[in-house]
Amino acid sequence: MLLYIAKRLGRALISLCLIIVVVFVLLRQMPVEGYFASFDKMTPIQVENGLRKLGLLDPLPVQLLNFFKQLAQGSLGVSARYRQNYPIARIIAQKAPFSLRFGLIAVGISIPLGLGLGVLMARRKGGAWDRIGTVYIVFMQAVPSAIYYLFLQLYGTQALNISLLYNPDKWQTMILPVISLSMPSVAYFAMWMRRYTVDEANKEYIKLARVKGVPTMAVWFRHVFRNAVVPIVQLIPNSLLLTLAGSIYVESLYSIPGMGGLMVDVIKRQDNTMVQALVIIFAMLTIVGLLLGDLAMALVDPRISLARKAEAR
Amino acid sequence: MTFNEELVAESAALRNEPAASRTGESRDTVLSIRDLHVRFRLRGQSLHAIRGVSLDVARHETLAIVGESGAGKSVLMKNLCGLLDPNGWIDGGSIMYEGMDLASFRSERDWARVRGKHIAMVTQDPMTSLNPLKTVGWQIEEALRYNQQLRGAAARRRMLELLADVGIPDTQRRASQYPHEFSGGMRQRVVIAIALACNPKLLICDEPTTALDVTIQAQILRLIHDIKVKYGLTLIYITHDLGVVANVADRIAVMYAGDIVELGACEEVFFDPRHPYTWALLSSLPQLGVKKQELYAIQGTPPNLFQPIRGDAFAPRNPWALAVDFAHRPPYGRVSPTHKARTWLLDPRAPAVEPPPAVRSIRTLFERGAFTENPQGGNG
Repeated sequence: MLLYIAKRLGRALISLCLIIVVVFVLLRQMPVEGYFASFDKMTPIQVENGLRKLGLLDPLPVQLLNFFKQLAQGSLGVSARYRQNYPIARIIAQKAPFSLRFGLIAVGISIPLGLGLGVLMARRKGGAWDRIGTVYIVFMQAVPSAIYYLFLQLYGTQALNISLLYNPDKWQTMILPVISLSMPSVAYFAMWMRRYTVDEANKEYIKLARVKGVPTMAVWFRHVFRNAVVPIVQLIPNSLLLTLAGSIYVESLYSIPGMGGLMVDVIKRQDNTMVQALVIIFAMLTIVGLLLGDLAMALVDPRISLARKAEAR
Repeated sequence: MTFNEELVAESAALRNEPAASRTGESRDTVLSIRDLHVRFRLRGQSLHAIRGVSLDVARHETLAIVGESGAGKSVLMKNLCGLLDPNGWIDGGSIMYEGMDLASFRSERDWARVRGKHIAMVTQDPMTSLNPLKTVGWQIEEALRYNQQLRGAAARRRMLELLADVGIPDTQRRASQYPHEFSGGMRQRVVIAIALACNPKLLICDEPTTALDVTIQAQILRLIHDIKVKYGLTLIYITHDLGVVANVADRIAVMYAGDIVELGACEEVFFDPRHPYTWALLSSLPQLGVKKQELYAIQGTPPNLFQPIRGDAFAPRNPWALAVDFAHRPPYGRVSPTHKARTWLLDPRAPAVEPPPAVRSIRTLFERGAFTENPQGGNG
């Protein structure tokens, strides 16, 4: 088990390094103005001096090596244009907690709701729950979120008699953003849960469990539900971690000072170092999420023999 | 020896036992199916899957139901434990078991009275019939809990006994393993152990050896026979393999297109078959042909059960079909007190028809007593 985790970690690290190299090399192809706050006012000589000072005139492998050294020291570098010379890690540290708070609550709500809805839908295919759920899922998938987000904000704030925008001192103002964030992910979890539950419920071993006299509810909980959750478990770490990235639309609607718009902001401002740092962070989160998902899956599914899998790959 | 010969040799061994248990001298009826009709709704059409089947099963007997895929063997048996698919329903008839009419059962609560404790099942494919995420021991103990009210240490002790009973060695270790750590044959043994854990009176084996390779088939057949004797079970054995049937059955019911076309004691159906469909089935047995002879295949396909069947369902494929076969459904003709067949050929007015040579050759071998020793007749 430990060996498997170690191997899996090693492979995750290699993927991450490859991503860093690709991102770094690609961003070096961007216009150099992305490294300076007041590029327009600078003379070509000033630009060249600036670039030399940043080490950007070194050969690419040297630059890459330096970047890895810097990362190894735990530094993401400083912002070039977004907030000049301000450490990127500090910018993220100020914004991420907001996104995390909203995101984690939303995921925490949508997993039980989504799984519950999915099971209800699967229990009676074509029944009332299935129809309601299908309408809901299709609505969530088909209608641009902007529309129902806006409606929710307008009528929701009116109904609750609270301000339109998020206020950190008032917990009530968190309700609507959390609902907005949960709505699509409830649909997402319900959709997969329904599908996996239907799959499991039709399997032969469920028939055998029924024939051997196990009561219906026990068959559903101990056999169908338990087994249908296994593939979902793999999705959960990723959805938890990616809440860190925040939601652009919900955060800007309620003016939550989170991570949501940051990526778009720094791309628009051509802040090369920040784009680089954020892409790497999001890549890392995804890789870690997949890794944790695999490990979680191995914990709940005895068929995944870690030792053998490590050998086979 | 070929595998088939081994199977036959095995069958010879199985037959050396008191005749009473084989023929079911005390013919008290456990299960009585009367004029059962089952229909399915499929794409807006109604499919008549079981067309008026009547069948009695005697206590402690082994009844084999044979027929090709789609004949309705499994559908018939699913009615006995409430496993009919949701789009299917019983459209008349009764299934009497211990004073209960299973055909009238609608709710899961009704079925809970019968499932496991009375009727258990060994399913077709051992690769899929065990829960992959639970240990083998857990799955057996679950059956013990609901049918014999055994829990904890008592359940575990019984579970280990059952594993040993079905021939799984090293029970302590094996019990804590998962199904994927078992081979197909071993899994089928576990499925049988689960069925036994229910302590049933009637055990339905739905093609229990079809998914296994031939050497394992013989072992599982032997095992099913042993546990049948040890636990005093009544067996219903569904299969499309006549070779298997010859080994296990006291009586044989041949099904075609949702109907039982011939029913009789094992010897009667094998050595004195009367229905042309049974003839065709027997002729298609490879081991009965002479070397290098072309394998016999039944022409055509089974009828479309979406449409009402007129006359004898087998008539369009039947080279011996009479004109009346296409117009009127034949009644059962009695051959002996235990043997009947649904064919007009048994009508006194019917012309005399000789069964095909393959069937006749089995009969002559039987009459010469060849089958009592070596049914292969030494042409291996």
